[in-house]
Amino acid sequence: MAVSYVPATFEEAVRIRRETGAVPVAGGTDLMVRYRSPAGTLPDFPWPVMFISGLKEMKGLFLEGAELVIKAGTELAVIEHSEIVHPVLREAVRQMAAPALRNLGTLSGNICNASPAGDAVCVLYALGAEVELTSSSRMRRMPIEHFITGPGRTVLKDDELMTAVRIPLHSDSASFYRKVGTRKANALSKLSCTGFITVTENRIVDMRLALGAVGPMVVRSAELESQCIGMDLNQFSNFKPDLRKQYAELVTPIDDQRSTAEYRKETTLNLIDEFFMLIEKELS
Amino acid sequence: MHQSINNDFLQKAIGTPVRRLDALDKASGRAKYIADMKFDGLLYARMIRSSRARARLLHVAVPALPEGYYYISSNDIPEGGENRLYMITNDWRVFAEDTVRYIGETIGLLVGPDRNVLRDLEREIKISYEDLEPAFTIDEGLAVKGGPIHGEDNIFAEYNLKKGDPDSIFSGSYRIVEDEILTGFQEHAYMEPQGMVGEYKNGKYVITASCQCPYYMRKAVAGILAVDQEDIVVSQAITGGAFGGKEHFPDVIAGPLVVAVHVIRKPVQIVFDRHEDISFTAKRHPSRTRFRTAIDENNRIVGMDIDIAINGGGYQSCSHIVLQRAMFSVNSVYDLPNIRIRGRAVATNTFPSDAFRGFGAPQGIFACEMHMSHLARALEMDDAEFKQQYFVQTGGTTVTNGMIHEEVKLPEMLEKVLESSGYIEKNRLYAGEGAAKAVGISFYNHGGGFTGDGEKEIIKARVRVSRDQNHKVTIYVSNVEMGQGFQTTACKVAAKVLGIPLQDVFFQNPDTSVVPNSGPTVASRSMMIVGKLVERAARQLKNSWNDQGAVDAEEDYVQPPGIEWNSTTFQGDAYPAFGWGICAVEVAVDPATAEVETKGIWTVHDIGVPIDDLIVHGQVHGGVIQALGYGSLEKLEVKNGAFLQNTFADYIIPTTMDFPAVESDLVENPYEYGPFGAKGMGELVFDGAAAAYAAAVQKAVDRDICSIPVNPELIMKLRQA
Ligand SMILES: Cc1cc2nc3c(=O)[nH]c(=O)nc-3n(C[C@H](O)[C@H](O)[C@H](O)COP(=O)(O)OP(=O)(O)OC[C@H]3O[C@@H](n4cnc5c(N)ncnc54)[C@H](O)[C@@H]3O)c2cc1C
Repeated sequence: MAVSYVPATFEEAVRIRRETGAVPVAGGTDLMVRYRSPAGTLPDFPWPVMFISGLKEMKGLFLEGAELVIKAGTELAVIEHSEIVHPVLREAVRQMAAPALRNLGTLSGNICNASPAGDAVCVLYALGAEVELTSSSRMRRMPIEHFITGPGRTVLKDDELMTAVRIPLHSDSASFYRKVGTRKANALSKLSCTGFITVTENRIVDMRLALGAVGPMVVRSAELESQCIGMDLNQFSNFKPDLRKQYAELVTPIDDQRSTAEYRKETTLNLIDEFFMLIEKELS
Repeated sequence: MHQSINNDFLQKAIGTPVRRLDALDKASGRAKYIADMKFDGLLYARMIRSSRARARLLHVAVPALPEGYYYISSNDIPEGGENRLYMITNDWRVFAEDTVRYIGETIGLLVGPDRNVLRDLEREIKISYEDLEPAFTIDEGLAVKGGPIHGEDNIFAEYNLKKGDPDSIFSGSYRIVEDEILTGFQEHAYMEPQGMVGEYKNGKYVITASCQCPYYMRKAVAGILAVDQEDIVVSQAITGGAFGGKEHFPDVIAGPLVVAVHVIRKPVQIVFDRHEDISFTAKRHPSRTRFRTAIDENNRIVGMDIDIAINGGGYQSCSHIVLQRAMFSVNSVYDLPNIRIRGRAVATNTFPSDAFRGFGAPQGIFACEMHMSHLARALEMDDAEFKQQYFVQTGGTTVTNGMIHEEVKLPEMLEKVLESSGYIEKNRLYAGEGAAKAVGISFYNHGGGFTGDGEKEIIKARVRVSRDQNHKVTIYVSNVEMGQGFQTTACKVAAKVLGIPLQDVFFQNPDTSVVPNSGPTVASRSMMIVGKLVERAARQLKNSWNDQGAVDAEEDYVQPPGIEWNSTTFQGDAYPAFGWGICAVEVAVDPATAEVETKGIWTVHDIGVPIDDLIVHGQVHGGVIQALGYGSLEKLEVKNGAFLQNTFADYIIPTTMDFPAVESDLVENPYEYGPFGAKGMGELVFDGAAAAYAAAVQKAVDRDICSIPVNPELIMKLRQA
């Protein structure tokens, strides 16, 4: 049976983490399901666990300079209802799971779970979010795409906790978000697509596109995005077919119990087309 | 704690709704399901199952067990007992011996007081197999891949039917349209998983079970212990949904359970968790139906050659009866000339398929409705316009050369649906727009009660209604309340006949040592057949109402006059009366994602007379949405013999967000031999919506749809083709 810890303070939590490597359980909505065991038995964790959902120091969200800071233990429901959160992130969170789940689940849980189908993760890629990792001796921060290294894999060290997600404030001219789930509510994603476009004087000054569940990790290409910068309508429309082709190469989904590779690819490309149409509209 | 119940139905129509008798207990959480019930010294059992689809079972290495823990297997079946379950067919074994036929087949039970210990012990059990080549699909089964699983050819049952003179038609020179329609597995997804507790009390084996058919279970397990059926007592626990999944399958749990109780002589509980329940219980039979239809120069159907095959899985159980209903339903509501139907139930190495709401009819009707709509498309006619030409009429002939005795109200019902759904105008408008929108329609019927003379020859239902000294009335039947509302409607029938308030009528919890055998809670028979007997018994009681002391009234089933059936040739009236339905569904298909938005659902049903309007509407909504799930979302694939979608995260049943409310309407058509005119309806309401949905999408994307679920993946593929 796994040893479990319930730290009373954040300091205690990082100490326990350093001393035992106990795995943090935030909302538990990923972990409890993954390590479920038969009715009437204790969850089947192969390592010690630490329940961190009671830590007040880890909750809350606020603006700091040009960033929105969401502390790691903040529940999804709080994010969903907060006015200071980017509407696309709010919308993505609103479409996650169901109300009871959102009262428990956290944004950091969605990130640390490192699933390419994590709905908030896809949006956070597009928003250029950074994560903050804290141990008893140091704190570091890094872009989310450096944090996640593969399906279920991150660079989180055994003595670290994620303490915050930092999201740069930015003003887009238009945004695009579409989740294609297995049904209309309480559904995991077959794929998702997040896009932001900023246009000044009929030219693209910023374009971001993140694609969820179409490969081992969320897909975002700084290189393809930067090629669009400075383009006007004409240039973009000419570039569009080539750009679509290049994105198509990055979209490498699989067949699984939720959908097919063929469907995921085709639909993602259709959504990219819709986003491109939005860009053209913004440019004209 | 009697809260006031509306007794208006005593003065008004019987359908006037009352609050369900079980509503408060269930809504408040007071109701105790089997997993909530307390038993002294309760032990828990975990099923040890085959992880191989087809293999020789070489050895089961069980670790040394701590005190108070047991491993139960076929070796524990007592002298004279048999390692088989007496279900509809008795081929399903209690415990696998020598070979395994499917993933999840019971090999043994681990029993003990602490479930954590059981889980750890389970991991230490090492089973050695020698794998054999499995067959998973209908085609693989028919090809006898890996050698026969059953008999010499893997055919559990084969039947042939003929109406008119199909031979002459197909040797003629008519235009022939061919078609192949596929349906998949479906999970019952009842809210409460399978569960039961077995005890040894006063020389009897007492099973308290979440189940539909207490008497079936008694019969299924008595032979294992070589005891009389009376030595087994089955008592129904409050049952949180069943849908056919608790018709026969609980026997597969009860068998090993009674062996454990026999050895240990202590109460033993088996409750599946959801993951076990989805992975290791029976499902709806997948089906493949092929049509060859002959069309004459006037674009009229002159004959149909139909071949149905269903995947029965590793054991036969009731597959042959499901096949019969599929065959008897495969002409839906149409009186077509010159029909040949061949049906086969095929053995494979998937989990045995079993009863599920509709019992073969949904497969047969889906196939027929889609094929008819394909014919309409081929002839450039509208589905509804094409199909209504062939509506069966009173006195018309069924595929078993029986007769439709009742008034058929399809034309009146069609008018209602066309009006409520706006079918004609909307389709005209959408076709003009070229938008991916359409309204689809389907027609269906469902024979109430057991097929043919089953009620008379096999079931022989008996009911008792008693009145005590205080003039309180109790209904004794073996049909169970499983969420469908039968407890309430049965009591309403008795109260209405006797003219007494509902509060004075009680429903005895079905227990085989207390209630007579009024048959299983299946086949849409509870109200139509058993409810009628309750009505008759209540009449009898009314006549002796003023007698002193307690009074009992018993009634036995009597077949309605004029019903003829030959159970060898399958000729005659397969069903005495039918429920009838029409469903229209409007959809819009997203151009980018092929996701489908359902804009509206309209139904009209003829169920005779509703015994409770609200309960009937509950059945309509539930049945229609369940069928739409089957038709659109509920993909259940088998990979290497195991169900791939084995959690509720991946096996996708509809939520309230997925479909709009069902606009449900009824036409009254009293049935003389049903209580207050009621006919069967529990399965009817499942039978048609999948086809209406598929027909709508078919029209919206202008491609023939030949299989369900019609999910975005399928639509995308069709659009690209
Ligand atoms: C029914 C259901 C529906 C769901 N629907 C969706 C959906 O629509 N979209 C979606 O994306 N997800 C969905 N999920 C998955 C899950 O709810 C989300 O991923 C959620 O955000 C996880 O948060 P949590 O706090 O519960 O994570 P937990 O389960 O507590 O943790 C997940 C992982 O993160 C780690 N972790 C958590 N907090 C920290 C921290 N502060 N520092 C370091 N590591 C940490 C844990 O150790 C673990 O590895 C669903 C789950 C269920 C059960």
